Amino acid sequence: MIEFNNVSKRYENGTKALENVSLNIDRGEFVFIVGSSGAGKSTLIKLMLREEKPTSGIVHVNGFNLNKIKRRQIPKFRRTLGVVFQDFRLIPYMTAYDNVAFALRVTNVSLRDIRRRVPYVLGLVGLASKARIVPEKLSGGEQQRVALARALVNNPDLIIADEPTGNIDPELSFEIVELLHEINKMGTTIVMVTHEHELVSHFNHRVITIENGTVVSDTPEYQEEAGYL
Amino acid sequence: MRTSSFGYLVKEGARSLWVNRLMSTAAVGVLAACLILVGAAGLFAANVSSIVSYFEDENEIVVFLEDGIDQKGVDDASLKIRMMDNISEASFVSNEQALQEQMDKYGEYAWLLEEYQGEENMLPHAFRVKVKDLVKLEETAEALLDMSEVQEVRVPTEVAHTLLGIRSIVSWCGFIIVLILLTVSLIIIANTIKITVFNRRKEISIMKYVGATDSFIKLPFVVEGLLLGLLSALLAYMVVWGGYVYVMEWAGTVDSAWLQELYQYFIPFEQVFKEVLISFCAIGVGVGSFGSMVFVGKYLKV
Repeated sequence: MIEFNNVSKRYENGTKALENVSLNIDRGEFVFIVGSSGAGKSTLIKLMLREEKPTSGIVHVNGFNLNKIKRRQIPKFRRTLGVVFQDFRLIPYMTAYDNVAFALRVTNVSLRDIRRRVPYVLGLVGLASKARIVPEKLSGGEQQRVALARALVNNPDLIIADEPTGNIDPELSFEIVELLHEINKMGTTIVMVTHEHELVSHFNHRVITIENGTVVSDTPEYQEEAGYL
Repeated sequence: MRTSSFGYLVKEGARSLWVNRLMSTAAVGVLAACLILVGAAGLFAANVSSIVSYFEDENEIVVFLEDGIDQKGVDDASLKIRMMDNISEASFVSNEQALQEQMDKYGEYAWLLEEYQGEENMLPHAFRVKVKDLVKLEETAEALLDMSEVQEVRVPTEVAHTLLGIRSIVSWCGFIIVLILLTVSLIIIANTIKITVFNRRKEISIMKYVGATDSFIKLPFVVEGLLLGLLSALLAYMVVWGGYVYVMEWAGTVDSAWLQELYQYFIPFEQVFKEVLISFCAIGVGVGSFGSMVFVGKYLKV
């Protein structure tokens, strides 16, 4: 599902963000990517989203070779995955419903399907009653759940969550990751970047640790080995 | 793209105009102000040109025929003159008519010319000729002089040169002023659109992350720019219309002989309203939609 083969990334200013990173994430996995600030986590996500191109090495995501993908194919690629950001990235003047529906509209889904699918997904994240509310009137946790609903609505095989709990209260963080956990149980692959050790240790999933642009550990299921307990 | 998607994007563009109403008002204000200036400069130049054209039309070449020319000679000359390309109008003035005109000018002293009537009339027959293009005045005069029936041609060369000079200055000044104003408008509008798009760059990046194509993202912005341009054009048209009619009414009431003389050659707004409206809409819609398209493009590289 995700394959990094000797991937390095250097920015134009000379910063080495990633150095010979190789990793494989299979369909149906839930993977935490951890590491300190500036370790290269964000660059890893940017490469997965094809926001950046690697300086060397090969990146495959959802069957797309992101080194060779043409610019006009990028929208098609991004529709195969859902993204959740730390700062929610909701369109402020749109209601929760419209924010979620937006992801379907860009994929040319019919109005009938939008009306069927959006309430269902909002129900999944527990926001059915708040569909007509604009983001600023929702709490941080609720906004993140709207973002999650938006990521889910296209029924993607993969969800990439970049510090999804970074802007919300700790107790709500568990709720969000619990939701992701439930989604993962339904077969969706989850890649979640975080620096919150408590979350990582609470959920028993694979942990990839990145430091100074390289993968320093990759521990399937047992966080003890990664030192997150 | 589905019809419902297209409708949605157009609706989004219109809605965004309202949601970002502060920036929209600023953009409409700036574009309308520029269009008003362009329109005012254009109408001023058109009016000066109309006045100059009138004076141009009043310029005549007088073609004196040979002394003692018979009726056949006059008919031949008439035919040749009317066949020339640059002649718009030619009227025959017999020597009797010319003498009568002179006597009319003399007024109470007309009796001084009475003895030249009939057989004693020494004035030649003539044609008064108006030209289509004042630039070719001298060339036409030479062609007339080459005719065997013609003894002399009187050409108002100096007046023609002055009028041509005025027309040329007005045309060039008008063109340069409109060009400068259009350039300034484009720069201001470009910046206004740039700020609008910059303020919404986050929104654009969200669209990119959920898989929106570039055209899907651009269309609402283009619709928004198009509507902004159209609104600006209509606002500018109303102001120019009102202002022009007011100035015309004022000019009609001013107690000034020369202004009253010129007043009749001012262009009524009804005569140019279509051109003004069409050019305002074309500039407004063009600048608005093209500007949006170009500047949104800059934020699509996510």
